[in-house]
Amino acid sequence: MHPKERRSALNRRDFLLRSGGAALGLSSAGGLLAACGNSTTPTATTGSNGQVVGPGGYRLARPDQPPVLLKYWEDPIASNLPVETGGTFNIYNYPQYLDPAAMKAFGKKYGVTVQLTSFQDINSGIARLAAGGVHPDVMEMTPDNVERSVVAKLIKPLNLDYIPNLKNVWPSLQSPFYDQGSRYTVPYTTYATGILWRNDHVTEDIASMPQPWDIFWNSEAYKGKVALLTEPRETIAMALLRKGIANINTEDPKLINRAVADLKQLNSICNIRLDDTQFQDVPADKTWLHQAWSGDMLVGCLDYYTFSPKGATSKVLSYWKAPKGHVPVQNDCWSICATTQKPVLSHLWLNYINDVKVAKSNFLNYNGYQPPLSELHPDTLISDGTFPEFARDAILTTEDFGAGSLQEMTLTNAGQAIWQNGYAAFTAGG
Amino acid sequence: MTTHASASERQSFNAWSRARGWLGNPWGRPRFLPAITWLYMVWSIVPVLIAIQFSFNNSRSLTAWSGYSTRWYWGNVYSVWGNTGLHSALFQSLKLAAADVVIATPLGVLLAIGLARWRGRGAGSSNFLMLFPLITPEIVMGVSLFLVFGHIFTVIHTSTLAQILGHVTFSISYVVVIVRGRLFSIGRQYEEAAADLGASWWHALRLILLPLLLPAIIASIAITFAISIDDFVISYYLSCGGACDTVPIIIYSTARGGPQPSTNAIASIMVFITLITVVAGYLLYRVFTRGESGSGSMTGDLAAFDL
Amino acid sequence: MYPKWLWSSFSLPGVVWLVLLFLVPMYAVIGVAFGSVDPILQTPLPAWNPLDWNIGWMDQVLHELAPGGIYWAAVVRTLWYVAISLALCLLIGYPVAYYISRHAHRTKATLLILLILPFWISYLMRMLAWVNLLSPGGYADTILRDTGVSRLAVDLGLITQTNWLSGQSATVILALVYGYIPYLILPLYAALDRIDKSHLEAARDLGASPFQAFLRVTLPLSKTGILGGSVLIALPMFGDYYTPDVISSAPSTTMIGNQIDYYFHGGPQPTVGAAITVVLSIFLTIMMGYYIWAVRQASKQLETL
Repeated sequence: MHPKERRSALNRRDFLLRSGGAALGLSSAGGLLAACGNSTTPTATTGSNGQVVGPGGYRLARPDQPPVLLKYWEDPIASNLPVETGGTFNIYNYPQYLDPAAMKAFGKKYGVTVQLTSFQDINSGIARLAAGGVHPDVMEMTPDNVERSVVAKLIKPLNLDYIPNLKNVWPSLQSPFYDQGSRYTVPYTTYATGILWRNDHVTEDIASMPQPWDIFWNSEAYKGKVALLTEPRETIAMALLRKGIANINTEDPKLINRAVADLKQLNSICNIRLDDTQFQDVPADKTWLHQAWSGDMLVGCLDYYTFSPKGATSKVLSYWKAPKGHVPVQNDCWSICATTQKPVLSHLWLNYINDVKVAKSNFLNYNGYQPPLSELHPDTLISDGTFPEFARDAILTTEDFGAGSLQEMTLTNAGQAIWQNGYAAFTAGG
Repeated sequence: MTTHASASERQSFNAWSRARGWLGNPWGRPRFLPAITWLYMVWSIVPVLIAIQFSFNNSRSLTAWSGYSTRWYWGNVYSVWGNTGLHSALFQSLKLAAADVVIATPLGVLLAIGLARWRGRGAGSSNFLMLFPLITPEIVMGVSLFLVFGHIFTVIHTSTLAQILGHVTFSISYVVVIVRGRLFSIGRQYEEAAADLGASWWHALRLILLPLLLPAIIASIAITFAISIDDFVISYYLSCGGACDTVPIIIYSTARGGPQPSTNAIASIMVFITLITVVAGYLLYRVFTRGESGSGSMTGDLAAFDL
Repeated sequence: MYPKWLWSSFSLPGVVWLVLLFLVPMYAVIGVAFGSVDPILQTPLPAWNPLDWNIGWMDQVLHELAPGGIYWAAVVRTLWYVAISLALCLLIGYPVAYYISRHAHRTKATLLILLILPFWISYLMRMLAWVNLLSPGGYADTILRDTGVSRLAVDLGLITQTNWLSGQSATVILALVYGYIPYLILPLYAALDRIDKSHLEAARDLGASPFQAFLRVTLPLSKTGILGGSVLIALPMFGDYYTPDVISSAPSTTMIGNQIDYYFHGGPQPTVGAAITVVLSIFLTIMMGYYIWAVRQASKQLETL
């Protein structure tokens, strides 16, 4: 088992929160149904000055727009408070997305028992937190869910005095566009979406094709060995990007329907499969051509899954991602839950996880997802032999993020429903 | 449709005449029937045996055998023993199955007796209701229980308790069907005889009916245990996350997420445990049915499974 | 001897349990299907009072389940998969149940144990076994390839390529048969085992050939078993989603259960998942009603036999 299992369909549907009330107007990928809607709390999709707003009422966060400043719903805790000790410290996260050794060491350092409560996907995790089913101290968070979690008062504001290690991360993520001033989140991991393939089977030079995504629509020869991620946002975004549409947060039903129609062609072209096991199946020769995250290439190079000496199978792996502005990049975060009884210790966890040594070890020994540490530069990771030269494209830098980058971000309620139904139409086959 | 082999047939070693005989009379001495039956048995069992074999593989391959090893059972962090997630799933599965048996068996036995003999208002619709959990797809029950614990019985929420309640709900009907089958086959003459001899209803129940039902009760325990261990969807929908994961949930996520021999190992351990339980149950059954001649077997009671 | 209230009070705990944890949950699905969704937390806001029902979701779902809708392909596929799997289960299961009940003597106990054994092996373990066997280089894959069966299956159009795990309908159907057949054979066996041998002897005495005797006596007498076993496997199969997930994971093999499951894994429309569940349940209730009617008819026929 591997951290990346959290990416399985079981664990994650990359959907943000959307509501029925507003979504009802734009029902299916096919048609428009105006018949319905008696939601008790309809959400406006436009704010006072005509901007499109998310479920929490804030302007939709986008990397190329001014950052969103989230209001404090309570004051952050004071500085220099004593650290709480004893008892348990509860971490709320995807399963297998954090090195147990890191948790154990943290517990030892502060005299607490560290316990992991896992959720199957971030949406159900947030819903359970809201329902009072769990009482964690800290939780893994995704940028597209920050706004609603703050508005629902599920996560607490941060006092950055406790988190000096924030300076270790890329400048672009020290004050990210979705949470200006890191008021509620600190970053955790980063990844980009591209193509991972076996160069011993796939003969095309994918990276130099005019539109590399076209390879999936020209993969008759690899039928049965071709797969996409089980991620609604990723698959439809890929089809949009292939047609030159860089707005991967579009809510235009026409564009999404066309992308879905394009994806459906893959059924007959290569009998496309959907799974999130690329990190294992491509190195193991089960899949030859797979839409994949950059971390999957890195994991492949570390030979976690072949149980062979490092570098033994990685020579046959190739990875491509589009240049900035054409490639979707994502990052995950940590937040402090409003349910915490140990606010100071929770701050120290957020600091601890961005400690260079801890983050690096979590990355290279367990998780496989790259933390956004300034120290982890492609040049050094390659020159010290951690990764081979041909994996360079899979290692991200601060330049990959920020203005001009594409990030799958919050959609309005209505837009969310269009994406969801579009993916349903794709997965229904036919 | 005779079951006795005639002398002439026994002597017909000639393949042609046998084939001709079969064509002329396909149901006479059905040699193809045992062939199909044994092929079916091989087909149904051997894949699982191979899966168990690969849990002892010395490499991480699930397709190429590279020698015997228990490394997927204990030792490193990839083994069942070394991976907390895996062995906690094992305990969770057993916990759910045990609770299911303890709750569903008495409920089901009472319901079976009640439904078989209750003739008042509501008896018909109760009988009808009892059938539904048997034929309702797991996803429908999973979703409905998930929603009921999320919106009506909100104290329970998704939890181990929710999982137990869910398992009992789909198990009761199996118990009812098995016990009812036995009830019908034993008839009422023993109890009537007891009544003639002056037994009170309580004595008739405790001293006559209960002992007579015991084999079916043990068979129900075995089947309840089995279907609880088997369940994936309801456990999954009512899961509270890592601590509520059962073995089938682990198998599902790893079968999709790239299976490893440790997955086979945990599934194999599950098979071993259930088989031990079943054998224990069988021995118990033998103890209870001592002296009862011609009453069939536990398999017979199980096989009497009939809607 | 037994007091009048006894049997109804025996039934009471079980019936209450089923009402609270089977019927009430079904109503919860209906409430959600006709309700709305919390805009912030994405959780359903059920409408318990039918006067407050919002039929928009159901309208949308019915529209998309119909020809031309986005789920239509999955609906058609589900019907086919269930029909073919059921037919194959009966084709394999009937002779097996028949043989064990009628002809196996010394081996009967062993066969019964083997028959019941799959019940104690988790469904997903049995699926996992096939994933291993059929993956490239696995035992079954190798045998099927070397014997030319894979090639033949491609030539016959059963599968589109020799890789059985590459999203093939045939593989999913075989997996469904493999997974569900034990639940069919047991009721079939029970029904066949119950048949009074004297009926058959009478038929033979009246001059029926064994085949005629089978057709005119055994088959009609086992009709309730066939029907019972069939509903016991076919109706649950309509809601299957994990089999295609584990054995194929291709859009070309998804069933309607996959769509329900999908809408319950986050997203703005758990209501859609609930509405599809309601439609599926209504369909299954109708099928169940048909089953009960057919069993009544069958037993009436038997009385006149």
